[in-house]
Amino acid sequence: MAVSKRSKRFEVLENRPVHKDGFIGEWIDVGLIAMGSPNDPKPSIRIEGDKVVEMDGRRREEFSMIEQFVADYAINVKNAPEAMAKSELEIARMLVDVNVPRGECIRVMTALTPAKIARVMDSLNIVEIMMAMQKMRCRQTPGNQCHITNVKDHPVLLAADAAEGALRGFIEMETTVGIVRYGAFNALALLVGGQTGRRGTLTQDALEEAFELEVGMRGLTSYAETVSVYGTESVFVDGDDTPWSKSFLASAYASRGLKMRFTSGTGSEVQMGAAEGKSMLYLEVLCIMVTKGAGVQGLQNGSISCIGVPGAVPSGLRAIACENLVTMCLDLEVASGNDQTFSHSDQRRTARTIPQLFPGTDLIFSGYAAEPNYDNMFAGSNWDIDDMDDFLSIQRDFKVDGGLRPVSEEDVIAIRNKAARALQAVFAELGFPPITDEEVELATYAHGTKDVGDRNIPEDLKATERLMKEGITGVDVAKALAKRGFRDIAESIILMMRQRVAGDYLQTSAWIDSDGAVYSAVNDPNTYAGPGTGYKMSDGRWNEIKSIPWAVRAEDV
Amino acid sequence: MQINTELLEKIVAEVLAEIGGGSSGASVATAAPEEVAGVKLTETGKAARGTDPKEVVLAISPAFATTFKKTITGIPLADVLRQVFAGVEEEGLHVRVIRVYHTADVAFMSHLGARLSGSGIGIGILSRGTSIIHQRDLNPLSNLELFPQAPVIDLPAFRAIGKNAAKYAKGESPNPVPTKNDPMARPRYQGLAALLHNKEASFIDRSKAPQELSVTFE
Repeated sequence: MAVSKRSKRFEVLENRPVHKDGFIGEWIDVGLIAMGSPNDPKPSIRIEGDKVVEMDGRRREEFSMIEQFVADYAINVKNAPEAMAKSELEIARMLVDVNVPRGECIRVMTALTPAKIARVMDSLNIVEIMMAMQKMRCRQTPGNQCHITNVKDHPVLLAADAAEGALRGFIEMETTVGIVRYGAFNALALLVGGQTGRRGTLTQDALEEAFELEVGMRGLTSYAETVSVYGTESVFVDGDDTPWSKSFLASAYASRGLKMRFTSGTGSEVQMGAAEGKSMLYLEVLCIMVTKGAGVQGLQNGSISCIGVPGAVPSGLRAIACENLVTMCLDLEVASGNDQTFSHSDQRRTARTIPQLFPGTDLIFSGYAAEPNYDNMFAGSNWDIDDMDDFLSIQRDFKVDGGLRPVSEEDVIAIRNKAARALQAVFAELGFPPITDEEVELATYAHGTKDVGDRNIPEDLKATERLMKEGITGVDVAKALAKRGFRDIAESIILMMRQRVAGDYLQTSAWIDSDGAVYSAVNDPNTYAGPGTGYKMSDGRWNEIKSIPWAVRAEDV
Repeated sequence: MQINTELLEKIVAEVLAEIGGGSSGASVATAAPEEVAGVKLTETGKAARGTDPKEVVLAISPAFATTFKKTITGIPLADVLRQVFAGVEEEGLHVRVIRVYHTADVAFMSHLGARLSGSGIGIGILSRGTSIIHQRDLNPLSNLELFPQAPVIDLPAFRAIGKNAAKYAKGESPNPVPTKNDPMARPRYQGLAALLHNKEASFIDRSKAPQELSVTFE
């Protein structure tokens, strides 16, 4: 290793950004292995009556609570004998073959055991995984989600960023906090900013689960995503949870007409020291099946916040693409990650996103940092606002729909200003600590928190406490906006609250268009069956993607 | 930020030894507490619920300052303790330290600390540095202040954590410790954090109650 005279090439290579990344070797005993661990169970199934009495080499009496839940609720026992009789390779080929319809693949994949699904995935290379994704995702039109956060939890900046994000095309946006007690203001800022940027934007507040449910029920948010499930019993129990308690929480959301999805991802179990020697992908398949068994419409996965772990071991990024594919194959919406920093290398960052961006997923990012990464309170996303023009160029280079659109500087400034003023009006009307005209101006033109001042945090926190105590709802926010001359935003908020009663956006993979129409896997199902089928970019959309403002136009030369 | 190569090498060596030795990482390690320079921690019995409104309970993880001597960035754990003590004491309150054995989940550790604390305020710190200020009547996965990124927590931050915990204990509403965010901490440290956590988790003893510690700085 240590040579006395150094090669100048190796000296240069050592100083490249990729060498700052953590790479670790496999440690099979604790489950530091992406997929195909020798400790993963061998596929098997035995059914008596309509009950699974043996699964993956274990008898029913030996099942963990997760295995019991999966065996009882996530395997179609009627189709299982036929599906399990097929070889892994045969099923893998079905997923890639354009002549096998999506519905047939779903019928087989939903009748397999966890170990079998993991092995099917291990039979696919990365290009085959992408081909399968193109066919297997639920909704035909791809979409995108962003993060809206900042290190100061500055509400005016949050509102402005949300408006810009919505204008840029994100159909969903997620926030979280630096200081937990700011949570209610973050929800409020995204509600006002999101609806200012584009009517119909779905917003969520990733916080403690009881709080999330409460702000959702009040109409301050419109969906939830961070309901976490795990692949080993000890990690589940550590979080004071079981698959049944998570299902109960899911039904609480459904009963109030709120969209929700679960979250899981490779690496979480080993990160928490409880992988029981199983591979990350095998444990993630259990999570996906728990989600299916709970009757939830979708899942956010793709390692998510643990990506530093699969990202550090061999075949880790391939395993992450497999997680997304398995979710699609169980007929669930997938919000496919790409949402956390994992590398210093621009090449690795881009490569990591290709398997979701090129085939398209329901939400390619979950989410994209619509602020600079120094303000991203999910500890940084794989792409941030400073990468935006690179993203728009890649959409254009490959004629691929990543869900985003080029925007003009004037439009962005105008929409940010409007959102900041709207939040100023809401704060004034509800008696919260005032937002000054200077704060509106700074947030309008800011890059991030380094360009805005400091709020009086203790005073803001007292107001967030009041917001929660007094039971302020989306209707109160709409009233405040209408009273202060922001009638259009008020109407958008009422439209969002009306969705709770209609319930259309509880369908799999739903998003809401600017006219209030809901698109989902029901009315926009994926029909891909080879070249010339499936999602076809409209001329209007292609013209939009083509028109990056910085391209030189022949007529101007 | 400088990666702690010494610690990394040590962990990797231990991991390799473990793989070579074929021993299972799941068994509970029961090594006698080792000495860590600068502080002496002595167990004095099962941790009890306090009644003193002027105390903040600091809950430390199973292998804190025994097997683990430094945080993920190499800050000696004796210095971490010293700064938290100083922060609390400069507000006129004092720290009671407990060691938690049944979990290495910092949310549940700090919430336990808060529930045992006479003031209702607790702090939890993992060996790698991850910290929380918690309050008795909050949900376990909520908190007063969370410091999720161990690599950005330096000694002044640990002092500020102690100071703010004491202020909450006095019923004040302090300005939270300024949030720091390093988006590149994950790529650099998460793999290492997983190794460290698996190591610390091997010291979890689900049947052992939290223990009271007497602390002497040397």
